[in-house]
Amino acid sequence: MSGGEILLDVEHVSLAFGGVRAINDVSFNIARGEIRAIIGPNGAGKTSMLNVINGFYHPQHGRISFHGKTRARMKPYEAASQGIARTFQNVALFKGMTTLDNILTGRSLKMRRNLFWQMLRHGPALAEEIEHRKFCEEIIDFLEIEHIRKAPVGTLPYGLQKRVELGRALAMEPTLLLLDEPMAGMNLEEKQDMSRFIVDVNQHFGTTIALIEHDIGVVMDLSDRIVVLEYGHKIADGTPDEVKSDQKVIDAYLGVAH
Amino acid sequence: MHILYLIFVDPFVQMAGAPDLLVQTLWEGLVGGVLYALIALGFVLIFKASGVFNFAQGIMMVFAALTLVGLYEKGVPAWLALILAIGIMYLLALAVERVVLRPLVNQPDIMLFMATFGLTYLLIGLGEFVFGGNPKEMPVAALGLPKGSLDFKILGGLVSLQKIDIAAAVIASAMVAGLALFFQHTRIGRALRAVADDHQAALSVGISLNQIWVIVWFTAGIVALATGIMWGARSDVSFALQVISLKALPVLILGGFTSVPGAIVGGLIIGIGEKLGEFYWGPLVGGGIESWLAYVLALAFLLFKPEGLFGEKIIERI
Repeated sequence: MSGGEILLDVEHVSLAFGGVRAINDVSFNIARGEIRAIIGPNGAGKTSMLNVINGFYHPQHGRISFHGKTRARMKPYEAASQGIARTFQNVALFKGMTTLDNILTGRSLKMRRNLFWQMLRHGPALAEEIEHRKFCEEIIDFLEIEHIRKAPVGTLPYGLQKRVELGRALAMEPTLLLLDEPMAGMNLEEKQDMSRFIVDVNQHFGTTIALIEHDIGVVMDLSDRIVVLEYGHKIADGTPDEVKSDQKVIDAYLGVAH
Repeated sequence: MHILYLIFVDPFVQMAGAPDLLVQTLWEGLVGGVLYALIALGFVLIFKASGVFNFAQGIMMVFAALTLVGLYEKGVPAWLALILAIGIMYLLALAVERVVLRPLVNQPDIMLFMATFGLTYLLIGLGEFVFGGNPKEMPVAALGLPKGSLDFKILGGLVSLQKIDIAAAVIASAMVAGLALFFQHTRIGRALRAVADDHQAALSVGISLNQIWVIVWFTAGIVALATGIMWGARSDVSFALQVISLKALPVLILGGFTSVPGAIVGGLIIGIGEKLGEFYWGPLVGGGIESWLAYVLALAFLLFKPEGLFGEKIIERI
């Protein structure tokens, strides 16, 4: 699906924390409808890049355009309202709340009815609540987590928590979905399930996906294009086949004799 | 054996013997309890949204009431003083969010807790500087609150209800109910719980931390103002009032720090418990039970049920 309209364009972005340069003059783009992987050894700046894209970090240099609009410093909730959703490397769920409530928080920006009516669960607010509930139930069906709908997520096993987190991101109906190591710590079966969900989301909902993942097999299978980072620099960018045969990438992953 | 009789039998004989006194005691306990619940609610709101025990809640109550009375004494009409006091609580919420919470985001909770200490002394200083340190009288009549008492001849005796107490109970109940609905059914309520659980995740689904914090601190400020008016009407408005807010601590331990219904039930148990204890068991130890019973109850809860009656989880901080 690559080669289409550019959804997100990252140009010459640099990010430093004091003297530590996390990202150094990195440029790449994400086309609408593709699955884009960001890979690289630990500490390469992958998560920092996601944090820049959804507004947690503000780069010192460079520009980011989303939907063709170049943006200034943007706050995370502004990124969310423009259609960027994400999941986190170490699951960040609302642990005291149920699966359903967690997914409902993804609808926060879509609820617009009067607070007074919401309090009384009456009138248009009730209709709105039902509509959002229905949407969330569809996501729950889609992710096959019906059985844990009412369970507090803090009590769930890790693999399911990752799925709930994906559900919450999907509830935002994002244009761009950022997944930070969606398969970390999963067994083979869980990885296969998660891969299936990611492909389904991409194909059925047309959601553009950017994902960070360490399992190279998964990355090669899923993604349309891959960007490779090392020590904050971009060392390769292209289709899985191109990246696989790139000498710099091989050196970065296997080490090189000096 | 006689001491056992005095502890376990005699008080109940007294209760049955003079039901009018029992009703009177229960009523006073109830009013106190509703006001404790209101104070505790102020703590719960902020604890839920930022995981921090707001030490400044008590002084916020005094500061709010002091602003109201101070403005009134300077010749501002009571209704205008009330509106101005609400406005000042809003400004306070904005300032706290901008100056304290925003710079300390993602810092350990203990730092925020210490920051609320700082806020406490800042508000004490500011209050004394602007309005002076003398106790002030709440302009009860000018605020349209009733005075006097209602007497009922029932149960073979006289039960006397202060009208201000009735007003306090009604207003506090209405506020408690309104807040409970607000935080359980609205998107802001859900967002609030989300923020309490995980800042980053809340941000990523499009919740604005800054906005939520302002809303929560402003709501806590309104609650503080209402409590300040009610307590101020029963005694005077002075800095000593903030000691009452410490009673919210056992209330919260009983009810659970994160639970709105917990704050209400906890408040009622403490309020009624300490009045009954004082009146029926107090003479056994020479009185004064009222001032420590709540804390002993809290201690027992900490030993046997540390998450409280309705708490979501074990309390791990403060």
